[in-house]
Amino acid sequence: MSQMNGEGTVHARGLRKSFGDRVVLDSIDLDVACGEIVCIIGPSGSGKSTLLRCIDGLEEIDRGVLRVNGEDLGFRETPTSYQALKRKEVAAQRTRIGMVFQSFNLFPNMTAQENVMSGPVLVKGAPKAESRRRADALLTSVGLHGHGDHYPWQLSGGQQQRVAIARSLAMDPQVMLFDEPTSALDPERVGEVLAVMKDLAQRGMTMLIATHEMGFAREVADTVIFMDGGLVVEQGKPADVLGNPQEPRTCKFLESVL
Amino acid sequence: MTSTTDPVRADRDNQKLGGPDATSKPRVHRRGALEYVAWAACALVAFGVIRTLLTNENYQWDVVAQYVTAETVLRGLVMTVVLTILCMTFGALLGLFVAVLRVSPLRPVRILAGAYVTFFRGTPVLVQLIFWFNIAALYPNLAIGIPFTDVSQDIDVNRLISATTAAVIGLSLNQAAYQAEIFRGGFASVDKGQIEAADSLGMSRGTKLRRIIVPQSMPTIVPATGNQFIGMFKETSLVSVLGVGELLMSVQLIYARTYQTIPLLIVACLWYLFMTLLLSYPQSQIEKKFSRTRARVSNDPAPGLTQTELMGEAK
Ligand SMILES: Nc1ncnc2c1ncn2[C@@H]1O[C@H](COP(=O)(O)OP(=O)(O)OP(=O)(O)O)[C@@H](O)[C@H]1O
Ligand SMILES: [Mg+2]
Repeated sequence: MSQMNGEGTVHARGLRKSFGDRVVLDSIDLDVACGEIVCIIGPSGSGKSTLLRCIDGLEEIDRGVLRVNGEDLGFRETPTSYQALKRKEVAAQRTRIGMVFQSFNLFPNMTAQENVMSGPVLVKGAPKAESRRRADALLTSVGLHGHGDHYPWQLSGGQQQRVAIARSLAMDPQVMLFDEPTSALDPERVGEVLAVMKDLAQRGMTMLIATHEMGFAREVADTVIFMDGGLVVEQGKPADVLGNPQEPRTCKFLESVL
Repeated sequence: MTSTTDPVRADRDNQKLGGPDATSKPRVHRRGALEYVAWAACALVAFGVIRTLLTNENYQWDVVAQYVTAETVLRGLVMTVVLTILCMTFGALLGLFVAVLRVSPLRPVRILAGAYVTFFRGTPVLVQLIFWFNIAALYPNLAIGIPFTDVSQDIDVNRLISATTAAVIGLSLNQAAYQAEIFRGGFASVDKGQIEAADSLGMSRGTKLRRIIVPQSMPTIVPATGNQFIGMFKETSLVSVLGVGELLMSVQLIYARTYQTIPLLIVACLWYLFMTLLLSYPQSQIEKKFSRTRARVSNDPAPGLTQTELMGEAK
């Protein structure tokens, strides 16, 4: 890697994203250190998903600086502008960023094992036998030993989400993004996914998590960010933001969810 | 306490009709009068049709029987089958190619592919066939050579484009336009989340298409293509105008000689009908299989069905 020092970090300055005339993210400043766990909370429509999607390169930002793993995401800075990178270069950046979706988005035409192998084999061209062993090990690490030959529709929501996490991890990402990973799950299935995420946090993975699980945020997060209307309204230690919020909007939101 | 105030039980107790217990009575629907009327009308129509088929001597069933397995007719049938398979194969391959061009990141490529589809779907296939047959009028000589050199070979287009070649080209190119639309619809049916998951892993366009989009769009594509196949089987009759010796042309050749027009057209119809029915069984099986797969080409867990079914077309 050319930029060892930036690995596992996310930095944003004045990040702006709009859809048409609608500004969805406005002047976002963000600093995530390597190994830091950041939970993003906020009401529906506040821009949590959009922020994560920007960091994963699924949405292109309008303005500002966005640096992930120490590199400008999707663009190269020149003295006067940001030049869009080639498709291949963007793809290479993305392999170092993992994304877990609310609706899992496992490939239904592949087994759990094939899903986990899909990144290494189809993107990196890794040898199949080795990738298969690695996939099985990853499935075991998310508590799904022996489920490798199951298709997504044969798995419960919680199991599918854990396969999705394993699929992302198979690419050895340096930053993991989670967009409400437990919102589509039955209440009794939430715990198993949160447990896997906690385990991952303890192993030093940089994680940005949009979530409504306040208990999880309080317990695991190093930093909690409260967003509303496309702005970062308040951020800090979970004890401060969740326990002693300064902004009236944060208070109002926390009252409504607790 | 509850048993004495249970309204249902009380009702049953009140019933002194001597019938079975209320919980075990069958539920009956009475047939409406309309249904009997419909059946009667249906029978009447069937009777009329059968009667005229049997009593009208102009049908000449003996002639039908005589020619239904005649060598000329069977040769025509074989030609029809061969044409169908050829045109569907070329049409599907070219259609896939056009569909891929239609989702190209390059706008001019998309426009070109779109124009292709518009042209071939917007003009009658019969006209297209005659057009290909007469292409030599437009380009009498086809020069194949290496550009900017003297090395070249002139080809007489009139001889190159026989009636059969014109038929295969015309039907294939036309089919490709429809097939491209089927593929496009199939691609569009793939959940957006799937594309995002693939993008997120850093998958290239080609890999995404081959490993994610095409396999997942099979449930929409395969049944629609099956229908096209059945349609193509009948559509080949159009190339009789070019003088290609397929099924319709064969019977036309015979009745041009014997003037037994109606019985020979019946012979052709019987074969078309037979083949269509023959094809519609696998088609209905395909549709059934893929309507089940379709429900499962989503992430929602659905109660057990065998995995092998899902594997079938996807690989
Ligand atoms: N592709 C899009 N086109 C137009 N508007 C969009 C698009 N995606 C998101 N938005 C808008 O951006 C705003 C922020 O959406 P976003 O999904 O980021 O919110 P969120 O905080 O994730 O909400 P939720 O908790 O409901 O997931 C919303 O008002 C939404 O309508
Ligand atoms: Mg969201």
